[in-house]
Amino acid sequence: MPNQFMNLLATVAMALAFSAVTFAQTYGTKGYSPGAWKPEELPKELAKPKPYNPHDLSGVWSSPTRAGYFERHSLNDKWLDIKDKSIPDQMRSQTYPPPMTPWAKEKFEATKPSYGPRSVPPGLGNDAVSTCDPMGYPRDLYEANLRPFEIVQASDRLLIHMQYHDIWRTVWTDGRGLPKDPDPAWMGYSVGKWDGDTFVITSIGYDDRTWLDHFGNPHSDQMTLVERWRHPDADTLTLDMTITDPKAYTAPWVGETITFVRAKAAIFEELCVPSEEEHFNDKIRDAAVGTAKP
Amino acid sequence: MRLKPLLHLGLIAGFLLAGIPLFAHHGTGVAYDTEKTVNLKGTVTEWIWANPHCGILFDVTDDKGNVEHWGAELGNPHALSMSGLSKDILKPGDKITITGHPAKSGAPRIELQEFTMADGRTLPERGHKGNGAKLTDEPGQ
Repeated sequence: MPNQFMNLLATVAMALAFSAVTFAQTYGTKGYSPGAWKPEELPKELAKPKPYNPHDLSGVWSSPTRAGYFERHSLNDKWLDIKDKSIPDQMRSQTYPPPMTPWAKEKFEATKPSYGPRSVPPGLGNDAVSTCDPMGYPRDLYEANLRPFEIVQASDRLLIHMQYHDIWRTVWTDGRGLPKDPDPAWMGYSVGKWDGDTFVITSIGYDDRTWLDHFGNPHSDQMTLVERWRHPDADTLTLDMTITDPKAYTAPWVGETITFVRAKAAIFEELCVPSEEEHFNDKIRDAAVGTAKP
Repeated sequence: MRLKPLLHLGLIAGFLLAGIPLFAHHGTGVAYDTEKTVNLKGTVTEWIWANPHCGILFDVTDDKGNVEHWGAELGNPHALSMSGLSKDILKPGDKITITGHPAKSGAPRIELQEFTMADGRTLPERGHKGNGAKLTDEPGQ
């Protein structure tokens, strides 16, 4: 009987090991992602557990709902049950920004996003996601709902590598302050430091051509983004974001806590290739709405 | 009491299904009528294996010999490569039957649901790589 019980245990463990969802919950400190390599092709020491350290955010992370049951598209929006076919696509997403300034409202009304209640077919819109243009931060992070991202910590910086568009974001941790009057950048300028067990990232200098999220909510080049990352256990990261942008919003925008779990999935190459997307748009997506090139 | 191997396999398959992402992506619901489905028989003219979206261009010939050029929208190659597709899965001249949601505009474009190749294989086939091997063969994926 003990042998049979052990057999059952081994089977369940095997089943867990092959599930992306449960792996995210059980892989724990063995958070190495083999990617295109088979496990036996890797050095054995990579499979050894690392001791939990709340100040070590490194590893591959993903949404706890990576199976695609939910998506998240903004600082605070409804969690979307994309398996619920009774909800029309256009109504699955709502977002709750603070009141916009007239400047931001005009900018918002000019956006034609591919997501949410104002969504239009990509061929009729002006959403960067449809043309491989930079989406900026924090919007890039929302793609982590369906794709993993990786954090790499070096002695002088922390790097966040997002699979979608193969974006590398640099957060300086060497003690430097924020730059004075920087030229706008797609990913802004970021510095980070530990406040107890919270890693606080402060960012400025964002290019105001990007949107904050998938819904077209705007920001200005005066935006300050503060992120508070926590690592409460070996398998979990949480993130709280606050946006302060008086040119665009009449009050700070405080996001809901986002939780990420350690992912078994590897970072894959997933570039958005402009020439390939242009060909796809021309032949398929724009043709579907009658805006393809003649 | 001894659990049968089949039950073990079923358990594994169940966990696997729970771990495979869906293919919904941006703009689909507004460009295509997800309440309607069309079934077509056609001949592939181009297989677009591209980042971040794939597509199938195919010709459909009616009873009178008129040819209409159709296209189908697919998701990204990484997700599709976990569902039995690959860059070599289709080539011009291949005969396929194809099912999808039609464009709301009436243009001959669909959002792909599935297609069946001449050899009878129906794709996307979740849990399989492009060469037909089950993903469980390579747990690193």
